[in-house]
Amino acid sequence: MRLEKCWFCSSTIYPGHGITFVRNDATIFRFCRSKCHANFKLKRNPRKLRWTKAYRKLAGKELAQDTTFELERKRNRPERYNRELLCATMKGMKAITEIRKKRQDRFYDTRMQKARKQTRESEKKSLLKDIHLVKAPESLLKDKQQDLLLEKVAAEPVATVEQMDVQE
Amino acid sequence: MATRSQFENSSDIGVFAKLTNAYCLVAVGGSENFYSVFESELADHIPVVKAPVAGTRLVGRMTAGNKNGLLLPNTTTDQEMMHIRNSLPDEVVVQRIDERLSALGNCIACNDYVALIHPDMDKETEELVADVLGVEVFHQSIAGNVLVGSYCAFTNQGGMVHPKTTEQDMDELSSLLQLPIVAGTINRGSDVIGAGLVVNDWTAFCGIDTTATEMSVIESVFKLREAQPSAVVKEMRASLIDSLV
Repeated sequence: MRLEKCWFCSSTIYPGHGITFVRNDATIFRFCRSKCHANFKLKRNPRKLRWTKAYRKLAGKELAQDTTFELERKRNRPERYNRELLCATMKGMKAITEIRKKRQDRFYDTRMQKARKQTRESEKKSLLKDIHLVKAPESLLKDKQQDLLLEKVAAEPVATVEQMDVQE
Repeated sequence: MATRSQFENSSDIGVFAKLTNAYCLVAVGGSENFYSVFESELADHIPVVKAPVAGTRLVGRMTAGNKNGLLLPNTTTDQEMMHIRNSLPDEVVVQRIDERLSALGNCIACNDYVALIHPDMDKETEELVADVLGVEVFHQSIAGNVLVGSYCAFTNQGGMVHPKTTEQDMDELSSLLQLPIVAGTINRGSDVIGAGLVVNDWTAFCGIDTTATEMSVIESVFKLREAQPSAVVKEMRASLIDSLV
């Protein structure tokens, strides 16, 4: 049994699921559920709907081009049955799935790094702005006074040095 | 020699069987009779395989092939394709093609060197036919019928076309194919030659309704009287030696 891909959202269609539409020019459209079929009937473009694979790949949300996707495709020229080859393929499938998963995770990580930076900055900003929510205004005032005092103390020796310079 | 047979009371045996110089595909029927006719004639020389195509028994009309390859329609399932691949000799290339016209047997008529195809077929399909079957491809129609596979049958020895083909068309065809061509009928006057007749270089099978006259025409044009499976090899060897010398 072939597990087909949904024309609209590219998810796998398992036997007994979904609906198939054959257009007058013999093009076959398979849909995984009524949601996809309904959206097709509304003539919506899957590339413009955010929940489809087509959109996510086009918008750079997911790994789109990779050699790990090459294994899983429809082949029109069959190979003669060969046990060794079949065993090797089965092993390869597992290995490739793992590699693909790792690559996808890495892709997600690098994509998220930018977002992480952004959130950190916005958090910093909001902390500065809304610090009164964290600390009572009274204690903030006290802090300020203390800061001023410290500044004064820091400024004084410089002044004396200057005076000394004048005396000499 | 030509043999008469029928498939489940139907004399359109070309629908249910595909015969080439390298293999023979036969539909899976309710009874073994049809298969055993082919087996008794061919089993010593080429593999005779029972195979469904696209879940149907219309093996002859769905597929097109010669000794170099076999073309399957896009409706063929993976299992069927695997079964055919595993049953046919290694030299035969099995290929599924994504073509809108899925009854390839009706749309393609071929021998080991030339193929006539339906005028509406894609460029890509045309290239695949040329590549897989190792033939020269011509877009053709026969007596105004676009279904070239249904209305003609030809081998490396000769060909038979729809009875209403004009003299001019026949001349054109025979110069195109470099073969003697004859217009004729099968199954007591049926004009769908492809459906009534399956033929290769040394043997032919026709529907049970075929008359003796029709049989004799078939035997003469396809040169079956003196034909032997080994003769093909001998002839080939002779021509090979010729070309080498």
